[in-house]
Amino acid sequence: MSRRSVPGQTPAATTERDGDGRRPLEPVVAPPRTWRERGGRVLSLLGSLQGYIGLVLVVVAGVLTKGDVFWNQQNLTNAVGAFSSRGILAVGETLVILAAGIDLSVGSILGIGSMTAALLLTRWHLAPWEIVPLCMAVGLFFGFCNGAGVAWLRVQSFVMTLASLTIVRGLDRQSSDNVSVGTQVVDANGQLAPFSAAFQGLGTPGHNILTGLPLPIFGRTGVYYPVVAFLVVCVMFQLVLSKTRFGRHVYAVGGNETAARLSGVNVTAVKIAVFSLSGMLAGFAGPIDAAYSASADPLAGTSYELDAIAAAVIGGASLAGGRGSIIGTLVGALILTLLDNVLGLNAVSDNLQLIVKGLIVVVAVVLQRPGLLISLGNFGREFTRRRTR
Amino acid sequence: MLTGPPLLEMRGISKDFPGVRALQDVSLTVRAGEVAALLGENGAGKSTLMNILSGVFGSYEGHVLMNGRQVSVHSPRDAQQLGIGMIHQELNLVPELSVADNIFLGRELRTRWGALDRTRMDRRTSELLSGFGLRLSPRRAVRQCRIAEQQLIEVAKALSLNVRVLIMDEPTSALAAAEVDRLFGVIRNLARQGVAVVYISHRLEELDEIADSVTVLRDGRLIGRRAGREVGHAELIRMMVGRPLGDLYPREQAAMEGGEVGLLVEHLNLRGDQRNGRAALHDVNFRIRSGEIVGLAGLMGAGRTETLEAVFGAQPRRAWSSRMRLNGRPYSPRSPHHALRRGVALLAEDRKAQSLVLQNTVRFNISLTALGQYRRWGVLSRRLETAAVNGMVRDLRVKTPGLGALVNNLSGGNQQKVVLAKCLLTRPRVLLMDEPTRGIDVGAKAEIYGLMSRLAEQGVAILMVSSELPELLAMCDRILVLCEGRITGEFHRGDATQEAILEAAMARTPVLAPGA
Repeated sequence: MSRRSVPGQTPAATTERDGDGRRPLEPVVAPPRTWRERGGRVLSLLGSLQGYIGLVLVVVAGVLTKGDVFWNQQNLTNAVGAFSSRGILAVGETLVILAAGIDLSVGSILGIGSMTAALLLTRWHLAPWEIVPLCMAVGLFFGFCNGAGVAWLRVQSFVMTLASLTIVRGLDRQSSDNVSVGTQVVDANGQLAPFSAAFQGLGTPGHNILTGLPLPIFGRTGVYYPVVAFLVVCVMFQLVLSKTRFGRHVYAVGGNETAARLSGVNVTAVKIAVFSLSGMLAGFAGPIDAAYSASADPLAGTSYELDAIAAAVIGGASLAGGRGSIIGTLVGALILTLLDNVLGLNAVSDNLQLIVKGLIVVVAVVLQRPGLLISLGNFGREFTRRRTR
Repeated sequence: MLTGPPLLEMRGISKDFPGVRALQDVSLTVRAGEVAALLGENGAGKSTLMNILSGVFGSYEGHVLMNGRQVSVHSPRDAQQLGIGMIHQELNLVPELSVADNIFLGRELRTRWGALDRTRMDRRTSELLSGFGLRLSPRRAVRQCRIAEQQLIEVAKALSLNVRVLIMDEPTSALAAAEVDRLFGVIRNLARQGVAVVYISHRLEELDEIADSVTVLRDGRLIGRRAGREVGHAELIRMMVGRPLGDLYPREQAAMEGGEVGLLVEHLNLRGDQRNGRAALHDVNFRIRSGEIVGLAGLMGAGRTETLEAVFGAQPRRAWSSRMRLNGRPYSPRSPHHALRRGVALLAEDRKAQSLVLQNTVRFNISLTALGQYRRWGVLSRRLETAAVNGMVRDLRVKTPGLGALVNNLSGGNQQKVVLAKCLLTRPRVLLMDEPTRGIDVGAKAEIYGLMSRLAEQGVAILMVSSELPELLAMCDRILVLCEGRITGEFHRGDATQEAILEAAMARTPVLAPGA
């Protein structure tokens, strides 16, 4: 008897046993029948759309107060373009948060990424397609260190990444002697040097990153490379999370680490991987940020980690792990950036903006709570039943 | 005593959850000094009813009366003020705090100066615990106590609240026989003092011993109420499942003699660890043939779980040493991942803490271990996954609204089936089962027993740990008994008796004192 088989693979063996007076087969998936069930479905659908309510509110507020000034492609792409590098950080942050960790070092890694890019550009005149992978490698290295500290040395992720936040920032400032490095290099004729122009393509509308030439497709429409990069990263990682075994394992580790381990998930590897990916994405965001602001500042990316965490959390990720998605984070990032934009257009003072943004985080998280609408629906049903009695 | 006026009455209680009517016009009456058993399959509504009584659910339809006066129970605080206490099946203790701190959590005793009065709390704790013969330092962290001890601590905590109505949700599910006897002593004592006890259990044998009345629920409705000792098991089971149940234990024929050895374990030694309560193992040897079901009996802390975990690679590799062979080939499990790849699966003891991602779906949980089978070019095929998961759900008769339902919302028995389905999708050759029927109802138990027999017939080697001796006696071809990390007895089907097993299990250990 060395045949490898279990009931799932041998239907014949199981049907024989069904007839011995035990319970009849229960239907696995019951179609909705009553109006109550249908109502419940509608409510839960609404519940799953909750995440977009905040976004809709912000857009409505923008349109109502500023109309066309807000709702035109130029303004919107500018707004999102300014946020793209932080959005990319938020994607990596989401991976870490899903695995029940937190990564405070992404802002610093973005900083050292942008500095690396600027130095490679000004000293060795490298092309963007050489600079970007190198910056990603730098970020990957620091992310791996975070992951190793968390998984192997069992340092809590908050502590580990708090340490690397300061270490990496120190390295960043040391390597630049505390001066910012401009990325717009002028040649003898007073023209922007070709390698520099190519690099600037990473941060300006409609340029090919390989040639630095304007892209005919985007042309005048003003689509930023940062925006494209952000969206591509979002799509890629959403697919990784929902369509690969690795993605499932990330959710499992965040949801119940013991269960994941006993289910054969290599918890150590998953943890190291999410931190490495987060670092790599931060490194990727570095050159984009440098090109966008045409310089690498030693303080670039400071406190970006907070925006990244805020975007993930507004997007429905739970800091306890196991719940959240990249789509949610994308929505969270859009809420933050458009809110910034609307407040800016309405000439709200910076100080007031900070206060409003903070409040929005709390309000958004409460609104995001799964089942809020469902419990409202329950309340409504109970209310009407009491009235009719 | 049992003819007095009712202390607690619940009349016409109904409760809805989204899409489900959990309770429909259920009534329950308990007199002072009565032990009222509440019986029903998982999902029958027992827990819902008791959660209403203890104020966990704020809203319900119907009336609750204490001493004939209508009261409203809309929060746990209301319940506490009315003298209603509940011991949940899932323990509610703070692991990092000490035993005394847990018992007095939220109502700590203080000295005149406002500082914590540890001396008084420790003394009171010791009194409470020694009331049922548990010798345990009050300063010990709960984390370091075994599950049985934690359960008794929880009982002590409820008792310290001076309850008039005490609800116990399966208090014995993790206790060994001797500990159950002790707990029953405590319950009888309470009843003598006029406390009304509502006792939820799946173990019918216990009801004979302890219950004055039995109330049976099914599908959220009241099926009937019987006086305790005048009702037979067959009738109770019929009331619970709605139809007579076939033989509970379907295993008639023993495994073939001389089948090939599936798992061979020689000289298994495991270092104990005080900090996480890991018991040590000393030179454990056994073999399991394929198609054989072998039981592992013993008291709490005897090393049963540790044995399974070592074979599954879930104990740190440096903590144990052994020569193992799997189907004749050397086997040295470095990790659960490794063990699963070699065809060894573990059904862990605590399904919520160790097996399930509760906030995720049935589909996610069942396919988690076997995801590698459903990949095409590195991408998960939802079609293949759904087909496999659906097959399992149908085979094991998991009652779920759909594959997308959260596991957290399933009943205990169905959660256990989800865990089993997860194990089986890996197509194990050796299945390690730790308390496979703990805390699940009779119907689900029978189904799991049937499944085990079927697996054995298909040549799977099964090693099962259980604290329920009748289950071991009925299901196993052989029973090994562990005591303090050593094998102190081995019985073949036929010559095993409860007495002999218990004797071996207590061969050289005072009951309930692992490291106390």
